Amino acid sequence: MDDFQTGLVELLPRLRRFARILRPHDADAQDLVQQTVERALASRRGFKTGTRLDSWTFTIMRRIAIDDGRARQRWGRVLTPEDEATARVPDAAQADEGLRADARLVRDAIHALPEDQKHAVALVLVEGLSYAEAAQVLGVPAGTLTSRLVRGRQTLMQTLAEQGVTG
Amino acid sequence: MNIDDETLMRWTDGELAPDAVARLEAAARTDSALAERMATARRLRAATQAAFLVQVDPRDRDLSRLIANGGHVRAAPLAGLKAWLSQALAPRQAPIWGGLAAAAFVAGVLIGPGLNSGSGIRVAEDGVLADRDLVKVLDRRLASEGADNAGRAVGLTFQDGEGRWCRTFQARDDGLAGLACRRSDGWTVQALAPLSSPTGEVRTASSDTPAAVLSAVDALIAGPSADAVTEARARDEGWR
Repeated sequence: MDDFQTGLVELLPRLRRFARILRPHDADAQDLVQQTVERALASRRGFKTGTRLDSWTFTIMRRIAIDDGRARQRWGRVLTPEDEATARVPDAAQADEGLRADARLVRDAIHALPEDQKHAVALVLVEGLSYAEAAQVLGVPAGTLTSRLVRGRQTLMQTLAEQGVTG
Repeated sequence: MNIDDETLMRWTDGELAPDAVARLEAAARTDSALAERMATARRLRAATQAAFLVQVDPRDRDLSRLIANGGHVRAAPLAGLKAWLSQALAPRQAPIWGGLAAAAFVAGVLIGPGLNSGSGIRVAEDGVLADRDLVKVLDRRLASEGADNAGRAVGLTFQDGEGRWCRTFQARDDGLAGLACRRSDGWTVQALAPLSSPTGEVRTASSDTPAAVLSAVDALIAGPSADAVTEARARDEGWR
């Protein structure tokens, strides 16, 4: 494998994590990771060596998620009881983690954020991107990113304080 | 000091200029309400990260294969999966390495937790153990003989439901333990997991078999495990 492929393999756990934020259902998150990998491989010529592979790939994933979200809104979505169950236990590893109540509440609170804020929170708070990198992934000016982050955080803080998670 | 939410947020995310950080932190020393807001902001960030931990997922193997093949799924030798394997075999994860699931994925790859140090166990494309020294240990060594000079030893010997002989092993210098079963063409790896405690520590033969390997034994074993006499006889008969 070349550097690009190795980088992509190394990125898989983080791609999966980002997907789990964008898509609370495990099967949907898996689809999203798969599609992202396929598209990244297909469009690797668009990746400039020396730039950050994580930001580039997150950008791809987010675009797919948005397109996919629109398609879903058009067609609607049948939510089965099974889906509800898997949403609570996104994967076996998380079940092992014991589904600590706090972590679950935080996940739920993040999933409940408006899309724009959720993406900003995911990239900065969870993925640790800088504001400049996150703004680039989201394709918005830095000021827009910070206002989404401020609002997302305020909502999270309020939701979680009400549930007694963070003081 | 009146601090707005954005400044507080920038401080939490490391996006505040150093002099502004110094001013803010100085102010917090005398302003308990501000200090509390800062602590809350930090807790939120920590809670967010804790809610979405990076986890190894078995499905990443298929994706690794897809990537290695440049987007085309075909059977091809794989190299460069060391990063994934290192992570998958990191002691804190202690995963089971299922022989069947990984057979298609591991193609002549050197497996081991310390992949950069050159240690590891060689496994062929179809999951057959290709590590000559370890094969020799599985072929010949009895549990009572303990470890060879590289810390390779066998533990339990038993037969599975199809009458195949299976043996647990440890490769101390490679930091791995596993389970392999005998087939006509050699020993097939059924499970492989990192030895979790630091090297150099005194260990006993049974207690340091990783849970992942023990559960693979539980899944395969039919009847009791072999005693010393049965083990020696099976060896002398060539594990047939």
